[in-house]
Parts: sequence; structure tokens; C-alpha cells
Amino acid sequence: MPNEKTIILRVNGRDDEVHVPSHRTLLEALRTSGHMDVKCGCEKGDCGACAVLVDGLAVDSCLTLAWTCEGKEITTVAGLGTTENPHPLQTAFKDLGAAQCGFCTPGMIMAAKCMLDDNPDPSEEDVRMGLAGNLCRCTGYTKIFDAVLEAATVMRKEGGPS
Amino acid sequence: MSALDQQVQPAGNVRFSQVGKPLPRTDAAGKVFGKTPFAGDYVMPGMLHMRVVRADIASARLVRLNVEKARALDGVVCILAGSDLPDRTAATDIPGQTGQKRLDTGQQILVKERVRYFGEPLALVAATTRDIADRAHDLVTFELEPLPGVYDPLEALKPGAPVVQGANNVVAERRIRKGDAATALAKADVVVENTYRTPFQEHAFLEPEVGLAWVDDNEVVNIRVCTQVIEHFRAIADAIGVPHNKVRIRGSLVGGGFGGKEDVTVETYLALMALHTGRPVRLEYSREDSFVGHGKRHPFILRYRTGITRDGKICGMDVDMISDAGAYVFLSPYVLLYAAVAAPGPYRVDDLNVYARAVATNNMFSSAFRGFGGVQACVAYEQQMDEAAKAIGMDRIEFRRRNFLKTGEPISTGFVPPSAIWTEQCTNMAWEALGAPAEPSDGPVRIGRGIAAYQQSYGRLTFLHDTSEAWVGVEVDGTVIVRSGVTDIGAGQTSALGQIAVETLGVTLDDVVIYNSDSAVTPLAGTTTATRALYMTGNATRQAAEAVRARFAERVAKEFGVRPDEIDMAFNTVFVIDNPEKSMPFVDLVKLCAADGIHRSELAIFRAPFSDILDPETGQGQAHPDYVYGAHAVEVSVDAETGEVRVLKSVAAHDVGQCINPAAVEGQVEGGTQNGQGYALSEEMLYEQGRLVTPTFSEYLMPTAMDMPRVESILLESRSGIGPFGAKGIGEPAMTPVAPAIANAIADAIGVRIFEMPITPERIVSALQEQRAAE
Amino acid sequence: MYEEFDLETPAQLEDALRVLSDSRGGTPLAGGTNLIVDMRAGRERPERIVTLGNIGELRGIATGDGRTRIGSMTTVSDLLRAPEIARDAPSLVDAAKLFAGQMVRNTATLGGNIACGSPAADLVPPLMSLDAEITLAGTSGMRTLPLADYFRGYKQDVREAGELIVDIAWNRLPTKSVNTFYKLARRRGDAITVTGLAVTLCVAKGRCARARIALGAVSPTVIRARKAEAMLEGKVLDAELIDATAGQAARECSPIDDLRASAEYRRHAVRVLTRRLVSTAWYTLV
Repeated sequence: MPNEKTIILRVNGRDDEVHVPSHRTLLEALRTSGHMDVKCGCEKGDCGACAVLVDGLAVDSCLTLAWTCEGKEITTVAGLGTTENPHPLQTAFKDLGAAQCGFCTPGMIMAAKCMLDDNPDPSEEDVRMGLAGNLCRCTGYTKIFDAVLEAATVMRKEGGPS
Repeated sequence: MSALDQQVQPAGNVRFSQVGKPLPRTDAAGKVFGKTPFAGDYVMPGMLHMRVVRADIASARLVRLNVEKARALDGVVCILAGSDLPDRTAATDIPGQTGQKRLDTGQQILVKERVRYFGEPLALVAATTRDIADRAHDLVTFELEPLPGVYDPLEALKPGAPVVQGANNVVAERRIRKGDAATALAKADVVVENTYRTPFQEHAFLEPEVGLAWVDDNEVVNIRVCTQVIEHFRAIADAIGVPHNKVRIRGSLVGGGFGGKEDVTVETYLALMALHTGRPVRLEYSREDSFVGHGKRHPFILRYRTGITRDGKICGMDVDMISDAGAYVFLSPYVLLYAAVAAPGPYRVDDLNVYARAVATNNMFSSAFRGFGGVQACVAYEQQMDEAAKAIGMDRIEFRRRNFLKTGEPISTGFVPPSAIWTEQCTNMAWEALGAPAEPSDGPVRIGRGIAAYQQSYGRLTFLHDTSEAWVGVEVDGTVIVRSGVTDIGAGQTSALGQIAVETLGVTLDDVVIYNSDSAVTPLAGTTTATRALYMTGNATRQAAEAVRARFAERVAKEFGVRPDEIDMAFNTVFVIDNPEKSMPFVDLVKLCAADGIHRSELAIFRAPFSDILDPETGQGQAHPDYVYGAHAVEVSVDAETGEVRVLKSVAAHDVGQCINPAAVEGQVEGGTQNGQGYALSEEMLYEQGRLVTPTFSEYLMPTAMDMPRVESILLESRSGIGPFGAKGIGEPAMTPVAPAIANAIADAIGVRIFEMPITPERIVSALQEQRAAE
Repeated sequence: MYEEFDLETPAQLEDALRVLSDSRGGTPLAGGTNLIVDMRAGRERPERIVTLGNIGELRGIATGDGRTRIGSMTTVSDLLRAPEIARDAPSLVDAAKLFAGQMVRNTATLGGNIACGSPAADLVPPLMSLDAEITLAGTSGMRTLPLADYFRGYKQDVREAGELIVDIAWNRLPTKSVNTFYKLARRRGDAITVTGLAVTLCVAKGRCARARIALGAVSPTVIRARKAEAMLEGKVLDAELIDATAGQAARECSPIDDLRASAEYRRHAVRVLTRRLVSTAWYTLV
């Protein structure tokens, strides 16, 4: 008999009701409830593609149990910003060519967001450290560094984390 | 100096409104807002979830497969094994548009009796939920009787070795013979002989193989899948026993390919299960599946004998190449051909002998990977250039200068590339861009510099009759649609077509929508492989757009009372070149044309040059349409005590002909550098008796953000390529010179060369210890 | 991952201990960055998991009376943000900076890293080099012991059934001290350690007053190279002695060949890194 219960996951400001067993990871729960912007690359915490924010902290959703996220604010890249109201990280990634195949991009942006919240004026070395857990095979990271540093500059001008 | 050798210019747009600009790509917004649907993001009601059951030893006879327990599990809908499938094999040969005769390269779809590599699929499981599919997968058991296997190509060549393919494991042979290498070597002042070994490499795209298949109301098997090749619908149809027009591949934007999604991966399994169950089915490879689910880069053993004169001229070269084809042939004969053609590098070698063999083993089958043999050859020929320079005490750059192939000169096959050969300019610029050398330290950390130059083909083998189609149409409101089968694997393949179309029609990138990658609906453009997408499909797109433009220009010329060639179009305005006041908005012209019934769209086909296959004895003839030339320079630090290597500076210089989107070209250079750096330093696939012991990203180590330096790209534009607007290509060339540049830099730093890759800290420490012991 | 389990979510330490020692027992879940991976691979099949994430009293860093104490549920990122750690345990910061990736650092805990029992656990050599003590709690009470005595063998420790790690503590080092950690791995970012070395050197009156050399990933557990340490203590160091000490440290480890490196290379690395870290520390201090 599967050990299932209905939980509310608050994702991008909206409540999703999901009926999941205890072993369901946050990654699986999010994707099953339609949040396809959260990507699955390895399911063991090696690649960072599945990174989301839980109460503002970037975590690998493949290593997180869905049940432990009840009552917490979950943010995915689609919740960070939209075409009408983009987040500076999204604008920078788009305009500077930091997304190629785009598969690592959601996790990369969420990791960068958390890092910038903690350290709004990072050095390039700080950016490297913050993104060491996000693998990218397409970009070689150079334009990702450019985009994160550009977004940091914009965010500092706009006055603080957003 | 040839007319093609115009003054070297760094990248700079001189006459375009859209092309040559680093515009945000058409696919970029979807990706940063999380809207882009990848193949794994599609779901259908009632869909089943699949798993593949795989062999856990490399060489065996399948004695028994037990599916009863799995079948009995509630929610398991279907299990297929080799015994359930008719005797059809899956073709693994190169997909052709024109039905070229194929090599006999079939692989069984599921093992019937013989297991030839670790991970070879034994059965397919489909269940109503992922959990049940996983459970069922674990309930399938099997009995494998180990059979003698062979895991090294040199062993596989020995008489009496277990036979994996063919009569004697040799699945392909290539010869190139130009002039008289033996005599030239005998007369050389110095002969430098070395053997280089290159390893397996995993593509490690972030998106694992995944797809969704269903049978529609026309009995067409639809397969949503991440693939580099939608033309596989033919091979898939043959494998499942339906007509070709009853398989439709709906490609998605691909989360990385690099050659690893060039062969059929999940499609046949999906199609079979969709047909058997009558339900939509989804199959997503785990990362562990992916590591054993697609072919790897061919390991090569490259023995080079280079004859040189004391004044620094290469006077003869003899090369022996052996590649590990693994358990099935796949693209091994073609990788071998590329490697043989590339053997001497971008140098003038008139007396050349190349003998290359691809050898089957019970290792994972090897197939396409960025560079396709050209990378492996470069690892050898560029290290050999440094060794040769050292042997005569000459500067490494000067030695190269004395031997570079020049524009208008013939390559190894006797073919003269039609475009500029700017290897020397690229080499000089990359080397200079390293700047002032770092201060030498007296500690254990040594600094070294290295460079590698290269020749890499673009466009597929010319005996394949390669073609590519694109359709360009203008809507009544002036917006533009492009339709082409081209697959977009992340380099901006589709956006480039958009940029070409809008340049030609005089509108902007915001005005175009591109539909791609549907084998039933978008005109077939051919594979996204072999650095051909921009060349082939870019040309087709330009042709189509030019045809429409010509009709529009003719109409507006009448309106303005001028000749069509006096008209230009840019930024949504149509105007008379010498009298720009005489103009109208593009959309007004479109309305005029629509009212007159002028055809506002065009389907174009671009044909690559055709040649016969190379002479089997001499390898002479034309192999490819054209070649890219360039260089990569690095500065590294090597800790002589721990063996740790850091890449401090990394500079690439490539003549790309013409950038369509310079930011996208830089992006390819930067990414190719990551692939090459990992190949050189940290990416290692370890096998024990054919069993993979590095099956995930925590054992197989590609460079992270902390491992990569900033990569500097110097983009030269000779405008001499045969692609659109004089473009060449960059996809594979971006990677080709990187690993040997790093190897050369390490040898420069520590004074001893490691002849195999990856150059790990342990290998460096061992080499230094051996060097000390020898002294 | 499809195996089912019951999940308990105690808010207090005593509740967790009670649940862990009842008739069913259970597996503690800290950050999950090891346990979830093990469960997916089938290496762990818990029927009942007790998550410690809601037990606030287990998380935090406290200093006082010259002693620093870190709660077991403190994350690696917490360590990187804490000025007290930067001041009192530079080797721990060295290790934390190179620990996996950001998301894992945000989740992985000090207690979890110790409890996983891997000799490659990067936080352990720094703590051992600080003479840290570990406090365990069970239903029968708490006990404190040197971290150096906590490990019994490869992935084996002294915890009784139902015992949890509560905190780690150490006395602040004297002023004339150097405390440092070096991580040798096959790539710089997010890699499993091939050889990890933590060194503490304290100098008083021109002599080495205390030497600690803790070795990671070169033995079945993290170990102290005690004989090497003894060669240094009380002495005025010079290149020859440091060299000999490094050789001794290399003899004290028992590395294996694995997919990352050979035993021979690891022994070589221990010698090289011991010499380097001890030399650098000594010549910084005198």
C-alpha cells in the first residue's frame, strides 16, 4: 500500500495540490504537476540542472523529498521572471548568449540567483564557486560569467536583491 | 598570394543589417523563461513509462530471460524481448538522403542470443507509472553465460582473438598514399617517431536521451524525440516493419548532442512499444543509461613517423592508425576516413603514407563525436609537430610556419580546398594573444605554453550526394516564416537560418518564426552533424529567401521605374539604392505582391558538390566540400609535485569565413574549448573487462565553472567559405585543436611528454619520476 | 527511487531520539545529499526515515570561553558565511569552499558529512586537525569524545543504535597558529577528494608546540599521522626534519587503488602535501 498523502506545494506564488508518496522527490513532484522548466539531468546531485529555490535557498530538487517542502516557498525559473517582467539574470542570459542548448539554463539561473542574493557584488571567482555544481557542456561558461556579472551590476543599480 | 588571401581582418560586419550581429537568438527567450519544451517535457494522457533492461557483462550468451515476475506486477502493460521481435536489425549506418548503398552495419534491436557489449539492451518494459516501470525493471532477471571477450583493439587484431564483427574484427580500412613516403623518410635528416593514444569520451549532454511515441489516426508512428537526425525515420520504419511514410519524427530543440544523438537512440524502442501496446509511451534514459546507451568517441592508437630536414621542412610522413570501433560498426568507417584524411594536419606533405584500421572489440560501440576522427588525428599531428621542432632545435611556431599548407595547395587527398587557408594568421594571432609570459617561479609550479593548429572539414563526405532543403515564406503582414527540417542542438542552428532569411528580405530577426525538425512537415534538411547545418541549410535558406526577394524586387522596381538590381531592402524598408527617398515599407510591398498573386514563398534545395569515393589504394580524390583552418593557444601551470594542471589562458583563432551571429560563434568556441580541455585533462571512461566503472558525472569529470578559464575568441572572416555569405563552420573546429594545445603546453612546462590522454595528475607525476630516474 | 518508507518529522531532539530507539528504529535524514543518492542506487533501503531538518536546536554556531561549537545540522554554506569559522577554523573554510557545488553546500550538513563515514569526507580532516570533540546523544544521555576516536573502520563508527550526532566543538587555537586544508582532486570544482590534508601548527618560544596532520581519502577512515606529528612537536623545524616527517606521514596511511588514483600516487601526494603544508605553516609562523 503506497504511503501517499496530499500535500500543498507553493510554487512560484501559487498552490499546487499533489498526491505523492514519501519517496517522491521534489523534482518528480514538480515535473508531474506541470513545472517542466525544472530539468532532470542526473538525479543524483552531480549536475545542478534540477536546481530550484526552496525558501530562497538553491537546492538540488532531485535530492529533496517533496514531503519536506510543504509550507515552503518554491521558486523555479518560470517564477523568477517572464517576458513582460524579466529578471535581470534572464535578460542577461538571453542578450549575452549565455544559453545555447538551454538545458542547464534553468538550474544555472536559480543557482546564480541564490548566489547573488547572498553576495550582490561577486568577483568572477565567487561566480565560479557559486556555479561549480552546475554542469554545462555547451557554453564553456565564459558567457555565463558575463551574464551573471552583468545581472549583478544591473541588480545593484536597481537597489538590492529582487 | 592567392586572390582569396585578402588582408586579414578580425570579425567585423561591413555590409549587413542582420547577419554579422550578435543578436539575441530566436530560441533564447524561451530557454531563459523556462518555456522551451524539450523532448522530455511532453506528456500524453494514458502514456506508459518504459525502461530498458540491459546486459551487465560485455561478452556473453543469453541463456535465459525471466520476465514472468515483472509481467505479473500490477500496472505492467507490456514486456518485449528479442524473442518477441522478428529478425530485423537496426541499421546503424550513416543516413543518406539518396539511398546510397549501405555497409552491413546492423545491430540487433534487442539481444536474441549474443551480448557484445556491457549495457546491450535485452528487454523493454512498459508500465502505467514510472515507479512500476522501475520496479518491473528490477524484477526482470537474466542468466548470461560469459564468453571470451576482447577489450583492446591490438588484442583483437591478434590471430585467435575472439571475433566480435566480420571475419577478423577489422571493420574498416583506409589508405592514403601520396608520393613516396618510404624513400622520403629514408632520406630525411631526422625521423621522429611517436605513438599517441586517445581515450573514449562521453558526450555528456545535459539532457539525457528521451522521447514520447504514439500511433495516430493515420497509423503513423509519431516519435517526439531529441535527435540530431530526423531522417532516421527511414531506418526506424525498416526496423519496425512499416512503410517509410508511416513514421514521423517530431524533433524537439535538443539539450545537447555533440554527436551522441546522431545515431538512433530511443526511437526504435518507443516505436515498437507504441505499436505493441497501442498507447502513447515515454522513455527517458537515466544518466547511467545514457553512459551505456549511445556510442562514444573512438579511442585511437596513432603511430607517426615524421621525416624532417634540418632546416625545418617535413619531407615525409608515415602514419598507422588503429581505432577501437567497439561492438558494432555504427559510424566507425567514416570516423576512420576523416582521421586518415586529417592525418598530416594543415601542412604540406607531398610524400605521405597513411594506413588506418577500425577494429571491433567488446567495448561500448564507438560512433560520432564532435570532430569525428579529426580531433584524434590533431592530438597526434600537433604533438608530433612540437616533437619534430624539438628534434632539430627549432622554435615550434617557426617550424609550423615553414610547413603550413597555403591557400590553393592540395591536402592529403590531393584535393585543393576552394577557400582561404589562414592557418598561419590564426596561429600568429592566437600565440600573440597569450601576451607576456608569466614570471617563472622557483617553486614546484611550472608554467608552459602550447599551440595547436588544425584542419577540420565542414560539410559531409562528398560521395554522399548531400542535400538540404528550406522553405521561406512571407505572410501578408510582412512577417516571415522559415520551415526546415534542421535540428537545433544548441548552437543556434535555427536562429542562424532566421538571421539569413531576414537579412536577405530586409526585415529583422523579430519578424521571423522558424519551424524545424518535423520529418512529415518541414522540408528535410539533413543531419545536424559534420559542421554542415549552416553550410547546407544556410545556403538553402538563402536560396529560398533570394528567390522570394527577387520576385519582390522585380515588382517594386516596376513601381519605382528602376531596374531590380537598383533596389535594396533593410530594416523593413524597400528603397532605391541611389535614391533612398524613393522607398516604401516592406509590408506595403508585400501587400502589392499578394494582390498581384506573386508567389511569396519558395522551397529551395541546396546540393553539396558530388565526388566519387576516394581511391581505395591511394585515398586520392575529394572527400569533403571544404575545410576550416585555425589554431588554439594555451598557457598552463603544472604543479610538478602533485601533477595538477590549471589552464591559465586559452585563446582560439579561427577563420570562420563569415559570422552569421558572432556571439553564437564565440559560444561554440568557448564550449568546444570545454570539451577539449576535459578530453585532455580529466575525462576518463574506465572499463574493466568491458564493464563501465565510471557511469555517472561524479566519476566522469568534465570541466566545471571552476576549471575553465575565460576563453578568448579571435574570429577571422576570410569570406571565402562556400556557406552563406562566405561562411564556413565552427561546430567541430571549435574543439579540434584544444587538447593537443594543452598537451603541448604541459610538455613545455615540465620538459617531458605524456603520450596518452587524459593527462591526469598521476600520469604527470609518473612521467616526471621516470624522467628523474632516467637521468 | 520507488521503495516506500514512513517519514517522521520531529521538531525536538528528544522526539527524534525516542523515535530512533523505538522498536522500529529508523534512518536519520540530515541534508540528504548522501542518503537520497544511496537510496536511488539501492544501497540503502530504509523503511522509516527520521528527518532532522525541523530540529532547530541542532543547527547553529556558538562561541564562548575560547571554544567554538557547531550544531550537527549546520550546513556547509552556514560554515562559509560564519565569521567565527573564518577566524577559528580556516581549514574548515578551505574545505567548505571546495565542497561539492552550491546546492549541495546549501543542504549538506556537518553531522551528515561525519556520519556518512567516508574517508573522503572533506570536513573531517579539518576538524581532526583542530582536536575537535564530537557529542553524541541517545535516549540514555549524551557523551562527548574526541573525533579522532569516533571512526572504527571504513564507514563504521562508535554510534550505538539510535544515537545522533549533536555537535562538534574545539578550543580556539593559540595566536601563533596556522590551520590549513588542501584538497587534491581530479578537477577543481565539485570532485571527490583523492587526497585531503589538514595541518595545524602552533609555535611557542620558537618551537613547534603542537602539530596535527589529518589525512583524508588515503585510509579506511580519516586518520591522524600521529608518529609524524610526534616528530615535529617540541622541535625547531628545518627542511630536513619536515622532509622526514612527510615521509613518515606517507608511511602511516594505507591507501587503495581506485578509479580516481592509485595507492602509490596517494602515498606520494601525502608526502608532497605534508611537506608543503607544514613548511608553509612553519615559515609563516617563525
